Amino acid sequence: MADQLLETLRDAVEGQIDFEGQRLAELVTTVLLGVSGLIAFFVGYVQQDIYQTLWIGLGGTALTFIAVVPPWPFYNKNPVDWLPPHNSIADLRIDVDGNQVG
Amino acid sequence: MHSALVRVQNVFGFFTTVAFVVATIVALSVVVTPQAPSASVKLRNVQVVRGRPHYYSTKREEYAHIKFDLDADLTSLFNWNTKQVFLYLTATYPSLDPREPPSQAIIWDAVLPSLSAPLHHNQYIHPAKNGKASKGKKAPYPPGEIHLAAQRPKYQITDFSGKLQNRTDAVLELGWNVQPWVGALTWVNYQDFGVWKGLNGGKSKVFQFPEIRKRKEADLKTEKGGEGNRGKPA
Repeated sequence: MADQLLETLRDAVEGQIDFEGQRLAELVTTVLLGVSGLIAFFVGYVQQDIYQTLWIGLGGTALTFIAVVPPWPFYNKNPVDWLPPHNSIADLRIDVDGNQVG
Repeated sequence: MHSALVRVQNVFGFFTTVAFVVATIVALSVVVTPQAPSASVKLRNVQVVRGRPHYYSTKREEYAHIKFDLDADLTSLFNWNTKQVFLYLTATYPSLDPREPPSQAIIWDAVLPSLSAPLHHNQYIHPAKNGKASKGKKAPYPPGEIHLAAQRPKYQITDFSGKLQNRTDAVLELGWNVQPWVGALTWVNYQDFGVWKGLNGGKSKVFQFPEIRKRKEADLKTEKGGEGNRGKPA
């Protein structure tokens, strides 16, 4: 029971996503941060107000964290088809010092 | 990017890069913002007396008290990336030994805040147009515009040699240090630099320190700046 709870907790904290999701997360990070930096500079320059640059930049960063860090469902749309598990030594007879171990 | 921790590290890492690049662009944007500062500095009155200029002076020496007029338009120094401008007025005069560089002493200074700077008690508040202290800490002019008549100095000046009377070829010079939010500090410039025009004016006519007057006859009051509060919490 405790182990199961720990396992769910670990999964939630680890927040694993699939390979396509990782590619997407990388792209979202680059685009969101880059665009918010550009917008931050231009809005601040046009308005002649450096506080707008600061807050737009920080806001864009916060948005990026929210968009990228949690394992959102759209990062897990292409789960990997693992091969079915099989035991390759199941049919072998293994003797150690005359005692059968496998 | 497979786990949440790695994604946190990635996003934060790229954030620092973006922040640095944006800060660099902000700092460079100042170079293409035109500046055309102008100032007129006039000597109003100069007196030399002998005595102990400060209560902590260990010896009696000659010291000078200089009153001046200052009309300056430094509004173009206040662009979107300017936090504050430290403005100062120096008295410059040749040293007794011609091989030595001239002596320079600040007689008055002020921290001019931009509109975006948070309020601080060290900041200079321009007196109202009638010469009295501005009410409600609101300056009557936009940042960088200064009109002072017969302004008392903040600092009396002494000389290394202890002798100041009859010294010649003295001149009052305006100087400043622009302190931006992000980027490099810049000082007063008399030469044009790209779209930055050099300071127009900013120097008084050459004057001479007079003979010693009796201390009682002289008006030796000095101006106090907001930093008189230093040592006390803001």
